[in-house]
Amino acid sequence: MTNLSPATTEAADGTEADPAAATGAPTPSGRPRSGLRSLVPSWSPKLAVGLGLVCAIALWGLLGPLFTGDPDTVRNISMTPPSGDFLLGTTQTGQDVLAQLAQATRGSLQIGLLVGVLATMLSAFFGIIGGYVGGAVDEGFSLLSNVMLVIPGLPLVIVIAGFVPADQRGWWTIAIVLAITGWAASSRVLRAQTLSLRNRDYVAAAKVAGEKPWRVVTVEILPNLLPLLASQFVFAVILAILSEAGLAFLGLGASNSSTLGTMLYYAQNGFALQRGAWWWFVPPGMIIALFGCGLALINFSIDEIINPKLRNVSKAGGGGRELIASGAVGAGANAGAGPAANAGAGDGGDSAAPAAAVPAGSGAEHVHADPVLTVRNLNVVYQVESPVHAVKDVSLTLGRGEILGLAGESGCGKTTLAYAINRLHRPPAEVTSGSVVLHDREGDDIDVLGLASEELRSFRWSKLSMVFQGAMNALNPVISVHAQLDDVLTTHRPEMSRAARRERCTEVLRLVGVDPRRLDSYPHELSGGMRQRVMIAMALLLDPQVMIMDEPTTALDVVVQRGILREILRFRDELGFAVVFITHDLPLLLELSDRIAVMREGEVVEYAAAEELHRQPRHPYTRQLLDSFPSLTGERGSFIRTGEDRDREPADGPRTGGPRADSPHTDSPRTESPRIDSSHTDSARTGGAAAAGITDGPGAEQHPNERAPR
Amino acid sequence: MRYYIRKLAFYVVALWAALTLNFFIPRLMPGNPVDTLMARLQQRGGSVDPSVRRAYELLLGTDTQQPLWDQYVAYLGNLVRGDLGISVSVFPTPASEVIFQSLPWTIVLVGIATLMSFALGIVLGTVVGWKRGTWLDSLVPATTVLAAVPYFWLALILVAVFGSALRWFPLLGGYDVVFDPGWNAEFVQSAIFHGTLPALTIVISSVGGWLLGMRNMMVSAMSEDYILTARAKGLRNSRIMTHYAARNAVLPSVAGFAISLGFVVSGSILTEQVFSYPGIGGKLLQAVQNNDYALMQGIFLVITVAVLGANLVVDLLYGLIDPRTRAGQ
Amino acid sequence: MTTLEVRDLVKDFSIRSGLRHSRLRAVDNVSFTLEPGRTVALVGESGSGKSTVARMIARLERPTAGRITATAPGGAPVDRRHYRDHVQMVFQDPFASLNPFHTIEHHLVRPLKLHGRAGKKAETRALVEQLLERVNLTPAANVAQRRPHELSGGQRQRVAIARALAPGAQVVIADEPVSMLDVSIRLGVLNLLARLQREDDLAVLYITHDLATARHFSDEILVMYRGRVVERGAADDVILNPQHPYTQLLAAAAPNPDAARGRAGGLTGAAVEPAGARAVPLADAGCNFRDRCPRVMDVCSKPVRDHAVGDGHFAKCWLHAGGPGGPEGAPGASAGGGPAGAEKDAAKDAGKDAGKGAAKDAGKDGGGRAGVVRR
Repeated sequence: MTNLSPATTEAADGTEADPAAATGAPTPSGRPRSGLRSLVPSWSPKLAVGLGLVCAIALWGLLGPLFTGDPDTVRNISMTPPSGDFLLGTTQTGQDVLAQLAQATRGSLQIGLLVGVLATMLSAFFGIIGGYVGGAVDEGFSLLSNVMLVIPGLPLVIVIAGFVPADQRGWWTIAIVLAITGWAASSRVLRAQTLSLRNRDYVAAAKVAGEKPWRVVTVEILPNLLPLLASQFVFAVILAILSEAGLAFLGLGASNSSTLGTMLYYAQNGFALQRGAWWWFVPPGMIIALFGCGLALINFSIDEIINPKLRNVSKAGGGGRELIASGAVGAGANAGAGPAANAGAGDGGDSAAPAAAVPAGSGAEHVHADPVLTVRNLNVVYQVESPVHAVKDVSLTLGRGEILGLAGESGCGKTTLAYAINRLHRPPAEVTSGSVVLHDREGDDIDVLGLASEELRSFRWSKLSMVFQGAMNALNPVISVHAQLDDVLTTHRPEMSRAARRERCTEVLRLVGVDPRRLDSYPHELSGGMRQRVMIAMALLLDPQVMIMDEPTTALDVVVQRGILREILRFRDELGFAVVFITHDLPLLLELSDRIAVMREGEVVEYAAAEELHRQPRHPYTRQLLDSFPSLTGERGSFIRTGEDRDREPADGPRTGGPRADSPHTDSPRTESPRIDSSHTDSARTGGAAAAGITDGPGAEQHPNERAPR
Repeated sequence: MRYYIRKLAFYVVALWAALTLNFFIPRLMPGNPVDTLMARLQQRGGSVDPSVRRAYELLLGTDTQQPLWDQYVAYLGNLVRGDLGISVSVFPTPASEVIFQSLPWTIVLVGIATLMSFALGIVLGTVVGWKRGTWLDSLVPATTVLAAVPYFWLALILVAVFGSALRWFPLLGGYDVVFDPGWNAEFVQSAIFHGTLPALTIVISSVGGWLLGMRNMMVSAMSEDYILTARAKGLRNSRIMTHYAARNAVLPSVAGFAISLGFVVSGSILTEQVFSYPGIGGKLLQAVQNNDYALMQGIFLVITVAVLGANLVVDLLYGLIDPRTRAGQ
Repeated sequence: MTTLEVRDLVKDFSIRSGLRHSRLRAVDNVSFTLEPGRTVALVGESGSGKSTVARMIARLERPTAGRITATAPGGAPVDRRHYRDHVQMVFQDPFASLNPFHTIEHHLVRPLKLHGRAGKKAETRALVEQLLERVNLTPAANVAQRRPHELSGGQRQRVAIARALAPGAQVVIADEPVSMLDVSIRLGVLNLLARLQREDDLAVLYITHDLATARHFSDEILVMYRGRVVERGAADDVILNPQHPYTQLLAAAAPNPDAARGRAGGLTGAAVEPAGARAVPLADAGCNFRDRCPRVMDVCSKPVRDHAVGDGHFAKCWLHAGGPGGPEGAPGASAGGGPAGAEKDAAKDAGKDAGKGAAKDAGKDGGGRAGVVRR
């Protein structure tokens, strides 16, 4: 059997695959769950069917033999088809198939359970100990499990069974042999996950607190491995039942035992097939298949705990669910639900309505003479059980060649807004009303929300390009930089020759200060700053009029960040595109941008020229944000380390400007559904963290989540 | 380069481990296989030549006064010379000859069937993962049923339906005995005809695993930022699916080939048994039933070497498709 | 009150590439003293070795060389067994540093028990609630029963701080305690730390990449670059009057709207991005910034030591070999064409060599071990 459970795929390559945070994994839907409760799979039809099958078969194995009479009674009625007396007919020797089936089911379940327990114990021992201890022990253990993995199991079992005389081939012998040949795959999975957990900060914290190693393993690590262990156990049980059936079918099973495999062995040898006695060989296989299927379905649910990405994106109650889930398909979103409904809203022709672009109460009297992008009354709602209004009535005008800063904290909706402008948002996010109009250089106005999917595709990147936060994740890791630049050109400029395309790629790389010889590199061969420059080069390829940059420098060190900002300013001056620059780093925006919109809980609370915003912030939240950044060279803030103890005030912030204690959107538990800022960044972080956690080496300085804001 | 050296080194170790395991199994097991063997040999009218006995003792290691280490060296020596002992069940053919007569059947059958199911599973998994949330999702639980079906039982059902009932395909064998094995059109045609049901069994049983693995990785890959970038770039969906999502999602499946191949080979042994296929699996069972320890061990070694070889090839290919493995060093 | 003394701390990581082992010096002869009631900030970019210092002090890593000694109030050295009663750590990411499986209570009870501060159940509970109240998490009884995911980032970090205090620690290592938090709650958490410091007369090591909070939050600043402390001095001196070209570069690069606007374009091309560690191995005791330094001189390849540039203010730079008031003084003076190595492949990938198999997305930003001296 190949990958019976999805987890095997992870076994395939623990480091590559994404054993996403088994722990503290953000729950994209439903209430956050915790502790033991988080280990219980959430209810789903799959789980129900799986549990139903498994329970029914287990009950049958448990109770069946009590009711069905003696399976060994030989009668003088050979191979009768199913009838009232014998519901499943009889065998060659007139034994009741139903009675045999009950007994055999019990036998198979017993051996499956026993082997499942033994194999899981073995894999837990080698996987968890190896992963936790590391070093030579780990090397040895993982070599052992890898060797066990590539040596084909059944031939080995057959050889071993062949050497053991039939009379000594007991139940335990078979179980032990099967366990020894069957633990390796799950050991690899467990090791990978343990490695990742071992590098979590809470394990380090437990050590710092002075916990003993055995306690760190059993109390801190093991509980978080439980879902994975459960999944591996289930997998081991299926595998054991199948392997035993195979062995027994070959006549190499435990002597005197009666399992589903033995039944099939007798059926085969009794020429059931040739004589058309389907009632003899169909039911045993059926039981195995159904039981395996039931366990696999249970495993699905467990896997969804382990890897939340596999879960359905949303559960917007009732019938809407399928629809929304279908939207989760990457590009399907283009065609899918949503913005088309608002197509009519944007009366594209009207380019100037700047008054409307200024939300009431804000101080942007600045009217841009030559706008390139107008966003009017845009609303984005996450259509989940209790819909979340992520972007509320936002209106912005971006002038040609202007840098517009979009400031706000995590979850304020700034990223959702940016994605919605390019219609990159995915369900359950939906633009409920508003318009986005791009005023083309040639004089046309493009109603972005009204574009048909093919029009949208060609609009993207050629008029409006984007630079994302984590350049490591934003670049495809397995194809070269050149290929990633090139496919923009082949898609949008099909008329260009290969040489011309290469010429253009070289040109943009040179523009952003990356040696064109790097063109054939892969992303992982570039440093963080270099990767972000490549992203910017890519964004420049088609000479767009607007560039949206979503925290492009957040993950970078200040010096690298400064270099990239300098380039952005230079390009803006040379190439004349406009920039929407999104960040939480207000001081940076104050330096960089012409105008700034401050967002909070989906609303633009203040929208003003940068200098003005700096000198006289009007909204209390803006003031609070500004105060959150102590000045580098200015007066030593009196609020820090003086005798005053402002942090006893209800809000988290030192100068409580606004009523934003721990409001759900701004500093909410991360598991809150759904994250307002696109789930991409979030899930990528989780994944990245898990994956990065696995890398060995001096892990000290590489906290996977290390972000360097400012 | 370092990646390849590491991989090669690993397979050398794995091969050594398999050889050593093969050496120790008969020595650790209860009973005296050599006596059983000699008795069996006498039944068949073979001469109980002391040199024959000595060869078996080397292989199976019972009742010898020789230190274990010397036995081990002599055993390895024999293997290097390709001497796997004399088969009892097909006396007096050397085990190696028996093996090499049946090996091609298995390699062709398992090889083609595995490649087909891999390709099919990857393609289907890509589509199902890409179209997540549509009716295609219902394929996923369906494949688990297939994956949980025992190979041999599926084979029985296929024979019952397509062989016995519909009579579309032959019930047994690797080819029609009226033809002489060789490279002639009739024989090849017959072999393909006979191989269809066994191959179908392997494909049906193993495709679900590939599909499921690929689908899950597609789902994971599709929430990655590079997919978002690709969408923002205005690329065509087909290109995003192939060059961005599937290209990344396929890597674990390829890396996982090692694990799966072992399962497939195991399954094919059972399948061969059902179809009385002239492959190496059938021979292994024949050897087990006849206490033909020499043949048994030989076959185990050959199967292991074949699987290791296939895995090595896949690992080397993996180095080609994932730039990260070959970089840096 | 406990004093922690760090002397000549060295940490080498061995990196295996094939059969060859190479050493990577992550921390190179770092010395400082943490005194009660005072905060020392360790500032540097990712990969500068600052977190490794923290982990060595927390005994999560073993130093290759050097000493870390804690001295109890009476002047007696703290022995190994009681070290953790005195020295505790607050981790960077509050989303990772609390075990999602356990309640908040568990996180506080364990250190209390391990360090013998709790006996009976009721007593323990009272202590837990007292701790939570000290970090402003009320109602404490309620918070104690929750699990980490039910708290916000700021609240979690407060729990982490309470946990560090639970053993009665007098020395707290805060490793980027606020960098993962939303900006508007960062100062609140820092202020909390400051208040606890005042109340308990704690010695604090504040590790950060943020010059501004380092300046305001600490008494002394140590600037680390590739494992070495290149500049040290009183907080205001180091930030307002940086003497080492690297500190100058850092200060110039930090966003500062108070300075002239549009300065984003003001930096010259030199030294903006780290040039490759591969390009210049720097396997010697010479200045390890010289491959990026705009003012590099011939003498820079010679071993460099701390030179006094002011009262208690030192820079590890040959420019200041003449003593305080040397030829240079003005901050942000870095100008002129240095080595145009900005576009060379950056040092970060050097870290990749270490990471086995370059796991997918190995961290947001490369291995993150920029330019550690390779030996």
